[in-house]
Amino acid sequence: MSNDYRPMWESLGLDLESHDQLLKAIPQAFGGVYMQQKNRPAEMEYFDFVVSEIHGLRIQELQEHKSRGGKVVGAFCIFVPEEIVRAAGGICVGLCSGAEIGTAQAEKVLPRNICPLIKSFMGFKLGHVCPYFESCDMVVGETTCDGKKKAFEILNDYIPVHMMETPQMKREKDKVLWRSEVRDFVTEMQQFTGNQVTYDSLQRAIIDVNGKRKVLARLAELRKNIPAPISGKDSLLIEQIAMYDDVDRFTEQTTKLCDELEKRTRAGLGVQEPGALRIIVSGTPMAVPNWKVPHIIESSGAVIVAEELCTGLRYFENTVDEDGSDLEQQVDALAKRYLDIDCACFTPNDARTDKLVKLAEEYQADGIIHCSLAFCDPYLVEANRVEKVLKEHNIPLLRIETDYGQEDSGQLKTRVEAFFEMLAAKKA
Amino acid sequence: MRPSMMNIFENLRDQNILDLEHAKRDNKKVVGMYCAYSPQELVLAAGAIPVSLCGTSNKPVAAAEKVLPRNLCPLIKSSFGFAITDTCPYFRFSDFLVADTTCDGKKKMFEILGSMKPLHVLQLPQGTDRPGALGWWLEEIRILKDKLEENLEATIDEDSLRAAIKLANKERQVLRRLHEMNRLDPAPLSGVDLLTATWLRSFSVDKAEGIELVEQLIEEIQEIADKGLSPFRAGTPRILLTGCPVGSGSEKVLKLLEECGGSVVCLENCSGIKTQVYLIDEDESRDPLEAIAERYLQIPCSCMSPNPGRLELIAKLIDEYRVDGVVDLTWQACHTYNVEAELVRQLVKDKCGLPYLQLETDYSTSDVEQLKTRLAAFIEMMDRS
Ligand code: SF4
Ligand code: SF4
Repeated sequence: MSNDYRPMWESLGLDLESHDQLLKAIPQAFGGVYMQQKNRPAEMEYFDFVVSEIHGLRIQELQEHKSRGGKVVGAFCIFVPEEIVRAAGGICVGLCSGAEIGTAQAEKVLPRNICPLIKSFMGFKLGHVCPYFESCDMVVGETTCDGKKKAFEILNDYIPVHMMETPQMKREKDKVLWRSEVRDFVTEMQQFTGNQVTYDSLQRAIIDVNGKRKVLARLAELRKNIPAPISGKDSLLIEQIAMYDDVDRFTEQTTKLCDELEKRTRAGLGVQEPGALRIIVSGTPMAVPNWKVPHIIESSGAVIVAEELCTGLRYFENTVDEDGSDLEQQVDALAKRYLDIDCACFTPNDARTDKLVKLAEEYQADGIIHCSLAFCDPYLVEANRVEKVLKEHNIPLLRIETDYGQEDSGQLKTRVEAFFEMLAAKKA
Repeated sequence: MRPSMMNIFENLRDQNILDLEHAKRDNKKVVGMYCAYSPQELVLAAGAIPVSLCGTSNKPVAAAEKVLPRNLCPLIKSSFGFAITDTCPYFRFSDFLVADTTCDGKKKMFEILGSMKPLHVLQLPQGTDRPGALGWWLEEIRILKDKLEENLEATIDEDSLRAAIKLANKERQVLRRLHEMNRLDPAPLSGVDLLTATWLRSFSVDKAEGIELVEQLIEEIQEIADKGLSPFRAGTPRILLTGCPVGSGSEKVLKLLEECGGSVVCLENCSGIKTQVYLIDEDESRDPLEAIAERYLQIPCSCMSPNPGRLELIAKLIDEYRVDGVVDLTWQACHTYNVEAELVRQLVKDKCGLPYLQLETDYSTSDVEQLKTRLAAFIEMMDRS
């Protein structure tokens, strides 16, 4: 990092000692996982820069926004309609929670046996190590899973939390419920920021965020090519950065990257040999700096061509209809777009399994790796449905359950390699 | 001094299955339910028999683990295991299943179970504090009514609903009275017996008969109490057990608590007081479905967020039952109860100033020795004699 950001971190109330540890860990992990890759697109430079400034430049931007009276709103889930935050003049940041830090503090108020993502966000907050979290004026929670839902009750003791009730099904009455939740969120944001959400401001926000989603979809589309023009790890990084970077700048930079990838594709250039195994990763979100499984996969000779994850397709595959002619219609369009997300929190969630079959075909994938965080009941149980449907379609599947620790890396690598051997034999 | 009536309750297990077999032969329909939020009144009003399919045995867990993740609540694995191994007569007898989205594990498990028998899932609101929650839940109840009518080929009319409400209320009241006998000090009934009586009665084919039995038991307990007798010596620490559901077969912790010298005077869980204290409004001018919806939404389960009702109830029970300590039982990987334990701890320790112990365990016996040590130490701390 170029500048001295310590005064800023100090003013944010960060625990500088723990923060130093975190900040040391990220470049190390990043170097090992990212910088060793061959044939990286030149335009990855921007994203590498973002990581190198992960607690610097962007935080400074958030502080500047705040000093102009702007609000920063944190979210842990892709169900939180960021367009509305934006339309109210706020900045929405995805709080990643991908590292095991502050576990001891978190376990003072949370059980041990709970999803690492949940433990991580509590640890970040209680340990004051995340400048994004410390920049937030409020957090928007949702009722997607048991652990999070209940943990927000406790988090509320440390930062104001606004809860959105995400329904568990997608019937007409559930849509009605969700629409009213989205409408309430508009009101909440207006009150919180002191700014009106108008037709124009919301339209602008919808178009901007759609732009971000569309460029991500374009990137995804390019990965259908053989050989894949970009690694799965790089793609995941971009998808992770999408959650907190400045929207316009992100869209611009990702567009440049896609232009480069297009050229590469035309020249027949890829990150791996054309014969490399093509893998789709599906399951629970992978937040910065949780690159463990993708790194194992790609350092075993395969290339990840798609992420059916929250940090992946689920985040950008649908856009918001831009034809609403009044605020009411815009809000309905937003509600619709968000309820179309095929998360395992819904019952049933057949659309997800159907989609996996479709993705395998479109991306010409050799196999799917279902990766779930430990204790995530929705995804762990749904893996059984995934297995059933993929079997029916003869699509090979490997199921992994893991957490943020590195202890199981060796064992995971063995399992992944065995899976790849099987796939290679099948392909030959 | 143990009430002799308890023998009758213990024999109910076999009796209930026989009765059910007869009822099935007479073409009665049986509806299996998995959660305290499933309104049994609708089933009763349809002329069918509601039974609880909540798994309380460790036996079928291994079979379930072949399909479900290991890191899942034992109650879910047990319920699922019973179904796939076909070892639960109640499941076999069931013509129709009613399930709830109580927790992630159950919700997703039902997707797999649904291929075995006709099943309807009720969607619970996630919190009760939102203005729309009750109306939304009422719609769920109406949908359930239609489903039951369709699947059981029955009609559920207002009169039968009102009769069912009265009957179920009566049952709640008598169970509550039974429970409240243990406000006496020392308690005239052990926690284990309290659970046995409550649990086995819940499978009776004829509710009126079950109510009658509980009434007789209360009478006998009163006699025992009048003589100043009790299974416990004066000064035995009085414990409130809260947390995840406990039933006959999964009473490990309850049993250990009493073996280690405690007296479990109150069960604040689904098989205990939590489902007995709230009655359905019998006001004839009201829509009975609305009254039902309202009552069920009052159940203070940790699946609701927020769930202040549970804390209020526990605080009240601590007073009423003159409790010396609270044990909060969490089934392994039950996230809602596990997280909510922090709030219960704050209430019991910080506000009420009482000893509090949270335990996370499963249905197996592998940790019994370890539990014993912890429970014994906990009880010793409170000994009043
Ligand atoms: S990964 Fe699963 S358990 Fe963890 S926060 Fe997400 S939905 Fe909840
Ligand atoms: S004890 Fe908890 S995890 Fe288990 S079925 Fe009940 S609510 Fe679900």
